[in-house]
Amino acid sequence: MFELLFTKFDEKVQLTEEEKELAKTFFLPKKLRKRQYLLQEGDISKYVAFVEKGTLRSYTVDERGVEHIIQFAFEGWWIGDMYSFITNEPSTYNIDALEDCELLLLSQQAEEQMFEKIPKMERFFRILVQNSLIATQRRLVGSLSQTAEERYNDLVASCPTIPQRVPQHMMASFLGITPETLSRIRKQASLKK
Amino acid sequence: MAKTAIAIIGATGNMGSAIAKSLAKGPYRLLLFAHDKAKLESVKQDITKATPSADIDCVGCPMDASWEADVIISAVPYAAEKDVVEKIRNVATQKVVVSIANPLNETYDGLVTEPGTSAAEELQKLLPSSKVVKAFNTTYAADFAQPVINGQQVDAFIAGNDEDAVDVVKGLVTTAGFNAIVAGDLSKSRTLEAMQALLIQLTIKNNYNWLAGFKILHN
Repeated sequence: MFELLFTKFDEKVQLTEEEKELAKTFFLPKKLRKRQYLLQEGDISKYVAFVEKGTLRSYTVDERGVEHIIQFAFEGWWIGDMYSFITNEPSTYNIDALEDCELLLLSQQAEEQMFEKIPKMERFFRILVQNSLIATQRRLVGSLSQTAEERYNDLVASCPTIPQRVPQHMMASFLGITPETLSRIRKQASLKK
Repeated sequence: MAKTAIAIIGATGNMGSAIAKSLAKGPYRLLLFAHDKAKLESVKQDITKATPSADIDCVGCPMDASWEADVIISAVPYAAEKDVVEKIRNVATQKVVVSIANPLNETYDGLVTEPGTSAAEELQKLLPSSKVVKAFNTTYAADFAQPVINGQQVDAFIAGNDEDAVDVVKGLVTTAGFNAIVAGDLSKSRTLEAMQALLIQLTIKNNYNWLAGFKILHN
């Protein structure tokens, strides 16, 4: 249940066995079935979620009812609405499961308690937030200045199995292009190989 | 709003099935577990018949039911609770766990818990990383079908240490049709459990026919 999370911890901080046992008590283990919501627009995001198993996406829905995918999350990734999580304001996002998921949820209160009991965890989360900021900036710059093909290549590089796991129209939504354009890009990419 | 998933462990019992039936009307996903699979399936069918919109599933083991849940209702007798705890411990951390048990002795004339503690506090000791809340212990199973007795809405008391968890349970109690009253922190469970011991004794003595409850009269 915690294998992947501890693998991620081990990459950045050295926890003793006792600290690992203690860390477990701050997480809420949650199973989510395909198509169920972790968060719906208007909810206050009480948790950030670590994905032990499965795939999720976060998205907004515009006035015309069109979905815009902000992020996917696969095994070993984190997902949540940081704005709502930190401010306790209602979220403008939806997060749902694209496959059956096993998640580890962390509330703000539990996070604070964990930092107090295991100060090393603060380092882990600092690095996590740094990396997340970098990824967000890259995505912003990408959407402003990269071609659709370059953005597609970046997405596949971040998760090589994504074309098998996520429907094409969702990948297109993430990239801000039509499914037809994505189809063309993929065809060209396969010809280059 | 993303649905709150509620596991009911012991869902074929008088209390478990009554709670399941009344919560099925609310915006919840219910995950039922009980040892008797055939009986559990018939409880599910009864609920679906009464509330076609119910989001309800029978789950094969208490751990899986609790793993998928946000809230776990332990609807087994006090004596069986330790056993349930061992099965759900690893998936119950940080979750709301509702203690409905009244730790009565075999002759119903006293409590088996030591003075200075309660069934709810004992459950909290067994699940130190969960948020135990006392609720539904002063209401009989029949009250769920009839939460208004003689024109008075039955009061249902809640006790817990975690404010958010108490709020969540208040929502459940209100959905079930009772007038929710937050009694205080978890140690108030001692009083709540003793209150129900008294009501049970009076029910037997005065033939209340197991349809009775508390009401605080106030101005």
